[in-house]
Amino acid sequence: MCRKPNTPVQEECLYCQAPLKGAGFIAPAEPAAEGSQVPPSEEPGEEAPPAQSDLFSSLEDAVPDWLKETEASFLESPAPEAEGPTSEQLSDQIDALINQPLTSSEGQGPAIDDDWLASLLAEAGLNEPSIEDLGTAQDQGGIELEPTGTSQDEPGEEPPIAPEQVQKPDWVSHLEAGSTIKLEGGMPPGEPPDRGLQVSETTGQEGPGEVEIPDWVGKPGPEADTPSAPETEKPLAPADLPGWLEALKPSEDLSPSEPVEDLTTAEVVKAGPLMGLRGVLSAHPSAIRARKPPTYSIKLRVTDEQHARVEMMEELLANEQKPKPLPSKPIISSRNITRLVVALVLILPVIWAIFTGSQRVPLPQPNIIPGVVNCTQSVQRLPVGASVLLAFDYEAGFSGEMNLAVSTAISQLLMKNAFMTLVTTTSSGAALAESLMNASLSTAGIPEGTSAYTNLGYIPGGTLGLLGLATSPRAVLPYSLDGDNVWAAAPLNTISGVADFSAVLLITHDPDIARSWIEQVGPLLQEAGTPLLLITSAQAEPLVRPYYEAVPAQVQGMVPGLAGGLAYGQTTGGSPQNGTWDAFSAGVTASVLVILAGAITGVVVKMIKAKNKKES
Amino acid sequence: MLEQITQLADPIGAFIGFALTIMVLSYIIGDNVLFRLAISIFIGVASGYAAVLILYNVLWHQVIIPVFQAVTTGDTEGLLTYATQVAPAVILGIWMMTKASPRLARGSTPVLAFLTGVGAATVIAGAVRGTILPQVGASMNLLSTQAAPPETGRLVGWFINGIIILAGTVTTLIYFQFGVRRQEEGVPVHRSAILDYLSTAGHGFIMVTLGVLFAGVYVAALSALIDRVRFIWEIILRFF
Repeated sequence: MCRKPNTPVQEECLYCQAPLKGAGFIAPAEPAAEGSQVPPSEEPGEEAPPAQSDLFSSLEDAVPDWLKETEASFLESPAPEAEGPTSEQLSDQIDALINQPLTSSEGQGPAIDDDWLASLLAEAGLNEPSIEDLGTAQDQGGIELEPTGTSQDEPGEEPPIAPEQVQKPDWVSHLEAGSTIKLEGGMPPGEPPDRGLQVSETTGQEGPGEVEIPDWVGKPGPEADTPSAPETEKPLAPADLPGWLEALKPSEDLSPSEPVEDLTTAEVVKAGPLMGLRGVLSAHPSAIRARKPPTYSIKLRVTDEQHARVEMMEELLANEQKPKPLPSKPIISSRNITRLVVALVLILPVIWAIFTGSQRVPLPQPNIIPGVVNCTQSVQRLPVGASVLLAFDYEAGFSGEMNLAVSTAISQLLMKNAFMTLVTTTSSGAALAESLMNASLSTAGIPEGTSAYTNLGYIPGGTLGLLGLATSPRAVLPYSLDGDNVWAAAPLNTISGVADFSAVLLITHDPDIARSWIEQVGPLLQEAGTPLLLITSAQAEPLVRPYYEAVPAQVQGMVPGLAGGLAYGQTTGGSPQNGTWDAFSAGVTASVLVILAGAITGVVVKMIKAKNKKES
Repeated sequence: MLEQITQLADPIGAFIGFALTIMVLSYIIGDNVLFRLAISIFIGVASGYAAVLILYNVLWHQVIIPVFQAVTTGDTEGLLTYATQVAPAVILGIWMMTKASPRLARGSTPVLAFLTGVGAATVIAGAVRGTILPQVGASMNLLSTQAAPPETGRLVGWFINGIIILAGTVTTLIYFQFGVRRQEEGVPVHRSAILDYLSTAGHGFIMVTLGVLFAGVYVAALSALIDRVRFIWEIILRFF
């Protein structure tokens, strides 16, 4: 009853003392065809090969009678249990099989009295694999035999199914499709589709179409055709347990429920609700006590390789900071030649006009230049001895363009015997004013030291200084450059604001400076009816002219550029130009020609490049 | 002696000017040592002159001398004027000098804030009063019959000039109009075709304006060149 193997000569079981004699074991009828165990060449309905029948008969002979009876009574039971043998039973049986006494050595048949093993051997009887063969097949083919729990001693576990009702499992279908031998009639009855020998690959790929059937299972080996009776009669060789099976052998010493972790060395909780327990997290406040975080050194531990890389990076950075000498440019290059040619084209006509003193080009007329006539008339309308404020707000670089108009204005004012007060908002304006006044006085034949003007110098503060000058000139510029308190003496003693001057003449090259004067000083002058006159550069004229052409005008007179200066000079009796206007005309003409030539050359070169690009 | 030096100063100054002019004109053949030397001399002289001007013209004549004169003459009114108008500027100026020290530079922030605020207010007020309002009024009066010339011959020119100025002003303002209301989310927006045409016209006016400005700059430079060539020729005639 314990199903442990006993020798046939035993009358009672060595383990459970159950009577062995008189009890029969009827081996279940082997299905004619059984899924994975039927050779493909075997057609349904055919008789089993003689070797197979001999094997069955020999096996039946080896079954003790008590086992046959037990099996017969078991088969007669109406409701067989669906459960298979437990794992313990299987392991015991395998262990008993392996360690059984070698009775086969006595010339008898294989001492197989276990039903499931008998069925397994019956299945394998086609090829009769031994334990070594199983292990070898598994090792070579990489397959694994899994105990399915299906035992041949329980044929009545499930009701028989008609062959036509049984459907082939997928893996059988795939196997059949890949084979030249077709399995007809479906699955044999009594064999559940999922209880066949499960074969799985160790690669983890599972599926009916990918299953490799071992040779001894899937192919009708030659052993199947040869009589196996002599082999079955051979005594079983002592089982050499493979290593993998040895590893699978359950150990009776170890209990699976025994904890793996060794807590003998774990600390015992000494406080809190878990006091006395070992190997648990302590809830003692000391474990979570706040403490000062440890201080770590910020000194890096640098390896030699890292140090070498740092040195390399520092060297790279140091090289970046070093000034690299510029590559020497060739003196004679197309760019330099072009620059030299353009300069000569511009300068040569100017030099020619200056050297020759040419006066072929007619001078610009005052009525052509807007603002010149009004400027002249405004100065002419000044009373004799009037106080005029002159603002010298231009740089020395524009003296060649503006000095002619300024000299003319100063001469006209000197003719009116006006007292000129000189101011400036640029650093070089005071020196320019002083120089121009001395030159104009010398030209007019007025001796130096004549009180025709006073130079108050520089107005600090920019726009704020202009506003202060407009409202309170005495506070902004209390003393002249000579250190005299000019506001205490005539004619400036009557001046309390900029509007008290008879006229304001602004001389500037910068449109921003002109706009500041117009914005800060202009409104006061407009209210007082004091004219604001402007001598400006040609570059500032486009931005200043709207103030002159506005209605009402914010600038009452304007002399723009060299052309305006020449025209203004003509209004006061003419001034010698000494070829200046001819040089200016020649220079402008040459400039226009250079610009046209450059534009045409650029267009032609661009067209040629575009054409070459299209052709390429 | 002083008179002799003064007489010599003019020819020496002229010769120095001649040499510096040649050095600057040497840039025609490219950047060279003479050109860089001349530029360095100009920068140094300009800086030194500006420093002397500030010390002499501003500090000496506008800060120090008034105090001495008021104290020596006992002019209480002058002292009061100085205390109310000059002394605050002096205090702010000294306060501003803390910017020279990196440690005390933050202390000059109130002075800078005062100068910036007052300067901005002055500029904005002056621009509104001196430029924006008068120019807007002038633009509106461009085609006013009261501003029309009495002569019939000038009337056509005046009218055309007014039309051009009006068109230039309007189209230029339209050119800088980039706002477009989005009608539908995800659909690219475009200005109307009329605005595009007017914007193109404004673009043309802007290009003409920039061209005129460039021409003015070029004319000014050409005038300076003519002046320098004339100076060189005069020096040559004078000394050689």
